[in-house]
Amino acid sequence: MMLLLAPLGLLALFALVIPFVLHLVRRQQLTDTEFAALRWISLRTQPQRHLRIERPWLLLLRLLLLALLALLLAQPVLESKSVDRDADWVVVAPGADLAAARSRIGGAGEWRWLAPGFPSLDAQLASAPTPTASLLRELDAQLPAGRKLTLVVPEQLDGLDGERVQLAHAFDWIVVPGQSPAVATMPAEKRQLFVRFDADQAAGLDYLRAAVAAWNVRVPACCTLDAQSLATPLPADARWLVWLGADLPADVTAWVEQGGVALVAPQAAKDGDANVLWRDRGGTPLAYEHSRGAGRLISLSGRLDPAQMPLLLDDDFAQRLFDALRGPTPAPTRASAAAVEPLHAAAAAASDVRQVGRALRAFDPWLALLISALLLAERWLATRRRRGART
Amino acid sequence: MSSTLIAPELRARLRELRISSRRSAGGDGLGQHSSRSRGAGLEFAQYRAYEPGDEPRRIDWKLYGRSDRFFVREAERDSPLDLWLLLDATASMRQADKAQPTLRKFDRACTLAACLIEIALRQGDRFALATLSSQSPLLIAPGRGARHRDHVALELSRSTAEGNWPTSSAEGVIGARIAAHALVIVISDFFDPAAFDFMRRFAGAGREVRALQLLAADERDFPFSGGHRFIDPESGQERRVDAPAVRKDFLARFGEARAALARDCTALGIALATHVLDEPPERALRELLSDAGARR
Repeated sequence: MMLLLAPLGLLALFALVIPFVLHLVRRQQLTDTEFAALRWISLRTQPQRHLRIERPWLLLLRLLLLALLALLLAQPVLESKSVDRDADWVVVAPGADLAAARSRIGGAGEWRWLAPGFPSLDAQLASAPTPTASLLRELDAQLPAGRKLTLVVPEQLDGLDGERVQLAHAFDWIVVPGQSPAVATMPAEKRQLFVRFDADQAAGLDYLRAAVAAWNVRVPACCTLDAQSLATPLPADARWLVWLGADLPADVTAWVEQGGVALVAPQAAKDGDANVLWRDRGGTPLAYEHSRGAGRLISLSGRLDPAQMPLLLDDDFAQRLFDALRGPTPAPTRASAAAVEPLHAAAAAASDVRQVGRALRAFDPWLALLISALLLAERWLATRRRRGART
Repeated sequence: MSSTLIAPELRARLRELRISSRRSAGGDGLGQHSSRSRGAGLEFAQYRAYEPGDEPRRIDWKLYGRSDRFFVREAERDSPLDLWLLLDATASMRQADKAQPTLRKFDRACTLAACLIEIALRQGDRFALATLSSQSPLLIAPGRGARHRDHVALELSRSTAEGNWPTSSAEGVIGARIAAHALVIVISDFFDPAAFDFMRRFAGAGREVRALQLLAADERDFPFSGGHRFIDPESGQERRVDAPAVRKDFLARFGEARAALARDCTALGIALATHVLDEPPERALRELLSDAGARR
């Protein structure tokens, strides 16, 4: 089926008037003839304006040429047939139990993975997590209207987003045992806070110990504190660091850029891209957050001392410190499949979507080739006839 | 000169033709025309010096005996027939056929005139010629003999067809020169009504007038196809027409005009012959000189 990407290009069809005008208005070739018996030629026939078309074949060719040019301007594309199969689709989200699915649906239909490109089940899937919600929307947009869709999803479905998926097609939502492959994340338990302190800032250590103790009260034995002097090197798996000393040495900076989170006090250096993390009651900034490569740097404006940081005495300091070190929590992407069954959208709303993602194939080069061939033919026909008229 | 005007086979056919006037009876002279007063009327007019081409029997041998030179006796009225040839030399006579663009009506008119002169010469008649045109008209007074014929032929070969029909005063000059008993032959296409009026004036004055209408085959058949801009060579008018569309109408109107001319000629007692350029000239001559035409 042919579509036009730029239908306004068809306005060029108005140019079809031009060859008509050329072939109509072009004055008839009059032969000058001396004729003595002129007085008997009737005067009434003088305004001879026949609507006569000269060289109809040439005109036809020229019209065709212009029409094709207009079509070329309109950017025609062919709807690809690759998506266009008759069979209903069964789309399986990775992680779903295939055997359970087959036993519930049977073997009918065309089975494909819910993965980029919608490969068939034979294809090997990369183990990377898939954006399930986005793929569902893409599938809905690409699939021709009227096709029935069977969606097989594992019980624990990952790759969702905040928007509830809406599908224009009729679908079956079949939940089978299984679990979507998920990103490996740091386990919530067993956090370790490394502290490297200068001797004159050892007083601040108490506040940190109190904060970690508060964390452990909420979730028992989840955190440990490893306080050492500045010279002690960091272990390889360290994630959180509190640096109570002067400027950061180069190796610690490099560690931060590889994904570590370091709290530095005091740190007077202010970067332009710093976010204010904490403020006191008067609104004065107390802590800034900087991005450093893959990691973050949290700089305090003063020492860990209630005189400079009244925040230390607040009852929510432990929670604030935890949030600052942990960083923003990612949006939840995992849910129970039964709870996130897509909604059936109205067909009218979906029709806009369908125009976008279709597999389209342009055939401009072939059209241009045809046009140039027609142009050659037109030139040949035009000059041949003229030559014939002269002889 | 006359040899280029008249093709040899045409010249051979001319022997069968003769010019006869319906008024020739009763006249006097040496001509071929029958006369009741035989031998009389040789009123001596003058002697003149012999010129090559004069008939030897007209030499006055007695005078030769006295003066040792040849003299010819000229009588006042040698022949009862003066042949006046009036040729239309207007621009419309330039018309030629598409099929034969070099042969113009005027060329054919010259040929026909030369033929008539040849016949008149053979019969011993006097002949005169005038061309009718507003530009450089030709007027050659009546004369006799091969010398006069050559003179006329030379003048004819120099003349061309151009201009319009002469004014009535110029017509009058010619008319005054033509004697009352003369036979007047007008060769024209008779497209201009003035040509017929001119002829009618002679006919009304009692002179015998014959008309030879010259037509081109294109005018008879109108074989044009496609768009044409027809230009009248005399008036310069033009008509832009699609030729096939007007053909039927033109042929009807042109035929009507020819029929009207024939009717008018008959009413005035003018013998009319029509010659189309693609026909052999002797047919027209025969028709023009036929007894039926003469006795009408």
